[in-house]
Amino acid sequence: MVKHKAKVDERECLSCGGCISVCPVDAVFMKNLRAFVDQSLCIGCSICVNTCPIGAISLEE
Amino acid sequence: MRYDVIVVGAGPAGSVTARFAAKRGAKVLLLERRAEIGIPVLCGEGVSQRIDKWNILESKNWIANKLDGAKIFSPDGTKVTLSKEMAGNETGYVIYRDVFDKELAHLAGKAGAEVMLRSEVIGLVKEGDKIKGVKVRRMKEDFEIEADIVVGADGVESKIGRWAGIDTTVKPNDLETCVQYTFSNVDYPTDYGEFYLGKKIAPGGYIWVFPKGDGVFNVGIGILANFSKPGLALKLLNAFIEKKLPDFKKGIPLRLLAGAVPVAKPVETVRDNLLLVGDAARHADPITGGGITTSLEGGRIAGEVIGDAVEKQRFDRERLAEYEKRWKEAFGQKLLRNYMVKEIMLDFDDKTLNMLADSLKDYSFEEFSTLSLLKALVLKHPTLLMKLKPLIKLSEKKMEKKI
Ligand SMILES: Cc1cc2nc3c(=O)[nH]c(=O)nc-3n(C[C@H](O)[C@H](O)[C@H](O)COP(=O)(O)OP(=O)(O)OC[C@H]3O[C@@H](n4cnc5c(N)ncnc54)[C@H](O)[C@@H]3O)c2cc1C
Ligand code: SF4
Ligand code: SF4
Repeated sequence: MVKHKAKVDERECLSCGGCISVCPVDAVFMKNLRAFVDQSLCIGCSICVNTCPIGAISLEE
Repeated sequence: MRYDVIVVGAGPAGSVTARFAAKRGAKVLLLERRAEIGIPVLCGEGVSQRIDKWNILESKNWIANKLDGAKIFSPDGTKVTLSKEMAGNETGYVIYRDVFDKELAHLAGKAGAEVMLRSEVIGLVKEGDKIKGVKVRRMKEDFEIEADIVVGADGVESKIGRWAGIDTTVKPNDLETCVQYTFSNVDYPTDYGEFYLGKKIAPGGYIWVFPKGDGVFNVGIGILANFSKPGLALKLLNAFIEKKLPDFKKGIPLRLLAGAVPVAKPVETVRDNLLLVGDAARHADPITGGGITTSLEGGRIAGEVIGDAVEKQRFDRERLAEYEKRWKEAFGQKLLRNYMVKEIMLDFDDKTLNMLADSLKDYSFEEFSTLSLLKALVLKHPTLLMKLKPLIKLSEKKMEKKI
């Protein structure tokens, strides 16, 4: 099975912090005032992907 | 470097905490990762006028407009009006949130707190389990600062809480995910705040229109994250403006922001050497998503308790629990009640919302608050809203006014 990981498009992100607050494994951080996913921690649950109000996060293989 | 208190985050909750702790003689450091306090604005900028009574702000520069009242629209457009005439003239302000936050940080500094910008807290300093300070990244340099008390005022993201072992993860059904435009040059003559409800309009939330005066408006949406899909909030807001708010389409967009508000039950807010305030403590109102008033109230209580703790040189959880006790007295019951109301409201379909609005369309409300709305609903629909009844009773003793 392919494991999916979340990735933030930093050109799109408006730094609202929503994705950070909902991640169940604390894999999202602010880096230079943009959200950033530590993919070594991400379990691919897609909660942050659905939460983003402007669609700046996607799951990638 | 050593301080009595380090406050992480210079939003309203952090600045007010820092100020009242410094006022009582504590040596306070307020750390903010942004380069400018209050920027970017992540807020609808509506606040109840009762903050005037608290004497926390000194100027009036942060006031953009005073509301004439609120109009709430059910899915079929039925309108419920809370106007200032009914509400004894006390309604709400639309504010310049950046000016507001800057004034609060200024007043913290004036009370003796040291303020440092572009200083991001990246971890806690611990000795075993004991919190001894924070790790800071400032202009490419990492260093540690020690303190007896660390205050997490770091907003909805709240890493401080997580690092201290408090589970602050917000469940998707407890988070409003938001976007908002600010438009100028809008020909829409009203000084009422407007709220649009409906499962298709804004699932688990609402669309708001706040007039800032001179043809400037904030138009935003919040939806519950468990109903959200990637980019859905923005799509729904654009569609609503297109269909229902044509006057805004002709406006000039000055700002687009994304935001997130916890509409959760409050978390544990004290540990040895640690407190959480504001959004970090999940103190925003679960119905309205408003968190400015509780940030001010809770911040002041936290600052006073910290001041005492520093005087007595006691930083254990038992001593700091005074903060939790006092914020629960001040607004804990309201948060809990409104959380339960939020859960009950989620079960209402659009038809029920229309019916409820229809029954209140000519109602004379006694004050400008969600509580007076809830009371009217229970009065009109005792059986449908049976579950609400005991909640309203609970809060009768302490009437709280809130938009
Ligand atoms: C779209 C939207 C609309 C809203 N509308 C309203 C409204 O109309 N009325 C109302 O009352 N409330 C509203 N709210 C809620 C309100 O904005 C919040 O409740 C309020 O900002 C909480 O204040 P705070 O001080 O707790 O946190 P914040 O104002 O979020 O401040 C937190 C601060 O901490 C800083 N920070 C975070 N992490 C770190 C770190 N690691 N190191 C250093 N600094 C850090 C941040 O940069 C920020 O400055 C809205 C929220 C949103 C998102
Ligand atoms: S939810 Fe979207 S806009 Fe908000 S911080 Fe995360 S990626 Fe950025
Ligand atoms: S996909 Fe799930 S685990 Fe991965 S960053 Fe997003 S919320 Fe966290």
